[in-house]
Amino acid sequence: MAQISTAANMTAAEQRDLAAVLGVDDPSDGAVTWAGLAGQIEPRSDSSFASRGEAIRADLDGRLERDRLERERENIAAAIGRVPAVRDGGVPDGTDGPYTALAAPGWRLYDHLLEAGFFESLDENLPRFTAGHIETTVRELVLADPLSSALDGVGFDEAEKTALLTDVANNSERLARWVPSNGIPAGVEFETETVPPLHQRAMGGALLWIRGLDRHLSQYEVLVTDEILDDAAQYTKAMLGGLFVTATAACDLVGDRRLTDEQLTAAFTAGSAVGIVAQEELCHSVFYITDEMRAPSELR
Amino acid sequence: MALRNDRAVQAAREIELKEIEDGYTLVGGPDEAVTEQHDTDRIPEVDVDQEMLSDTGEDPESWLMYGGSYEQHRATPAEVITPENVADLELEYELSVGTGSSMEGTPIVVPGDPPVMYQTNGPNHMKAIDPREGEILWSYTYAVPMGVELCCDDNNRGAAVHGDTVYMTTLDSGVVALDRYTGEERWYTSTADHEEGYSATWAPVVHDGTIYTGSAGGEYGVLGFIAAIDAESGEIQWQTDTLLEDEWVGASREHGCGTSWMTPTIDEEAGVLYTAVANPGPDFDGTVRPGPNFPTCGTISLDLESGEFQWGFQSSPHDVWDYDAVAPRVLVRDVETDDGSMDMVVGSDKTGWVYMMDAESGDLHERSEEICQHINMWEMIPHISEDERVPFVPGAPGGNDWQPPSYNPETGLVYVIHQNYPQDLYWRYEEFSEGNPYWGGGLADPASEFPDEWNGAITAFAAVDPTTGERVWREWIESEDDHYMWGGSLSTATGLVFNGTQNGTFVAYDGETGDRLWEYEFDVPISASPMSWYDPDEGKQYVAVQVGGSGWLRQGPRGDTLAVFSMED
Repeated sequence: MAQISTAANMTAAEQRDLAAVLGVDDPSDGAVTWAGLAGQIEPRSDSSFASRGEAIRADLDGRLERDRLERERENIAAAIGRVPAVRDGGVPDGTDGPYTALAAPGWRLYDHLLEAGFFESLDENLPRFTAGHIETTVRELVLADPLSSALDGVGFDEAEKTALLTDVANNSERLARWVPSNGIPAGVEFETETVPPLHQRAMGGALLWIRGLDRHLSQYEVLVTDEILDDAAQYTKAMLGGLFVTATAACDLVGDRRLTDEQLTAAFTAGSAVGIVAQEELCHSVFYITDEMRAPSELR
Repeated sequence: MALRNDRAVQAAREIELKEIEDGYTLVGGPDEAVTEQHDTDRIPEVDVDQEMLSDTGEDPESWLMYGGSYEQHRATPAEVITPENVADLELEYELSVGTGSSMEGTPIVVPGDPPVMYQTNGPNHMKAIDPREGEILWSYTYAVPMGVELCCDDNNRGAAVHGDTVYMTTLDSGVVALDRYTGEERWYTSTADHEEGYSATWAPVVHDGTIYTGSAGGEYGVLGFIAAIDAESGEIQWQTDTLLEDEWVGASREHGCGTSWMTPTIDEEAGVLYTAVANPGPDFDGTVRPGPNFPTCGTISLDLESGEFQWGFQSSPHDVWDYDAVAPRVLVRDVETDDGSMDMVVGSDKTGWVYMMDAESGDLHERSEEICQHINMWEMIPHISEDERVPFVPGAPGGNDWQPPSYNPETGLVYVIHQNYPQDLYWRYEEFSEGNPYWGGGLADPASEFPDEWNGAITAFAAVDPTTGERVWREWIESEDDHYMWGGSLSTATGLVFNGTQNGTFVAYDGETGDRLWEYEFDVPISASPMSWYDPDEGKQYVAVQVGGSGWLRQGPRGDTLAVFSMED
């Protein structure tokens, strides 16, 4: 079965950048890891992170259903486990295929969060992506043992977990273009009232991209290469990983509360950030097929 | 009657196209529509029935719809003009249309004694013409509401005909029906509110008593649709949004655009239409409309009876470059492939390739070799740098903008026009503060720096084999004034292809080789698509083309001419 790693494209430079964001020294062997970082950084009190997490908890109190969240979290975990088999299946046969199935539990999670006002709450309580917010998010993530363990449990190895951190830490400028809907000023060239909340766009967009792979790959089969299929699987796994982080934090919010308020803020920020970065990468490497990328024509 | 005494012509002439911040608007037009009758008795009262419409692609004496046939081949079966004798093709006459406005249309011709031509141009002006004599029989100007918002010009690209009625879309997003014998208005139907940014510029198409028309306004945050209208009453039968509800996040669909602003292609055998779908909205900021934004920048198929969605195919998913799919789809039947015979939908898009799709499923059979250059294509996603600006080809006009391709049954090739000019799209990393604009970027035309790889030619005219996607030949066309080539082509059963350039040259090509066999020079650009018919009483094959600069970006000086060429048997 194919090995699908979200760390396949992670470079040493990206790892060094991650270390720099967190202000820690490069390890002598060059391999920056989640576990290694956790041993090097200290908790830093950030009252805004705590108060944001507290406000989200208060906002959503009684509006989220634990059973539904935990069920779909488990289903998303299972979907992550099926990604290698989907990759092995090659080009999907039609528009309602294996990628649609991978996205299905994510859509159920999305629907419930939508009903509960989850995305509006995040837009209200979380700031836009700034370098400072990103840095604190990564710092809190590294120290969130429950999240780290949860990712271990769904098959993200140390390198893949670290790749999720680099996705968040090293893309603050790119992420900054994704603005909370209430942060877009009036008078722009489009209707701001119809712009969905930022975290709804991040999650909904990721799910549309995953589901859209069935149609795209099957329609474009004559152009599709193994490398394109590999990238499709890799970024799908990353997006599902982002969903899993969000689902895990949501479950914690209504469940055991093992995450601190700071870590809750960080997890919701990171879940969306990973989804955003992965969907943009997927778009670029799987949907935009140039002549240099395409399979040679068998007709000419 | 002289044009200066023609009230419809004068009404059109008085409408002024005025540039505003977001595009164009019109000022100074008439309060009510104006019809001027000249010699209406000359029009034979022979209704155009469905059989005539269905067969027009095989009938050398008629050209009854914009694309020359429901399949939009833009090919005449007339055989008088050939590669061997085209050097002798002569100008029969030039007719001044008198309005001095946009000239992007293709006339239609109803056979008879005499034949009758219905010709349109901006702003919503139509004429009935005796094409033997070049004489106007009636003229009409629609009363476009002043203040209408137009992205690109006051274009109108042609008429449709059925029974005793001729139809034209209107710039305020409507369809007007005229008595084709008198030019008098029968009914008007609005398909959308022009004050929300909707407009209409293309020729509608009529099939089985139903008019099919689309939507424009993709730079104004509209929601695109296709509409079916009863040709007799003007009643809307169905109106289908192009954007599927479950393909968009939340309310982002409401202003997601996806207009369809050229003439749909009708598949009578399958009972469906095929049409291009344009850019998503807002144009450049994809973060507020995540996902592929299906089926924008692509092709859709809808059921003719119900408007039900059949399939969609995207050539530029989640587009942030304004790479609309626009040009009419071309339906090519019985294409032999390794998997057997296939009906094929050919889409030539702004992305700079031609897409051959299975008409039944929308699956890609093959994508052509590149038509224009591809330089830094689809770069800047992810857009990460404040200062990064990358000149890219094709620019926002394509590739293939709206210019209709033609399919030549004799050569088996599709002829397409692609622009090839660097533009420079930049995103801005902006700190948000209340009251400051957030555009997210802008489009620099031309690019601030031209890439070294660019070959200096602004347009490519090419022949593509739809069975393989092979680019059989390609002519690069340069323009001293950097004008785009803005009209489509015409194919003939004898293997010729006619095309007008931005340099004012009307050319007949050998469709097999791309050799220029005949040229005629005008002093202004050609921005329209030619057509042809055979008149048995005169024993002549005619070729007509409108002449004059038109359109959105640097199409050159206006013209006012309908030029008609002819050759005797």
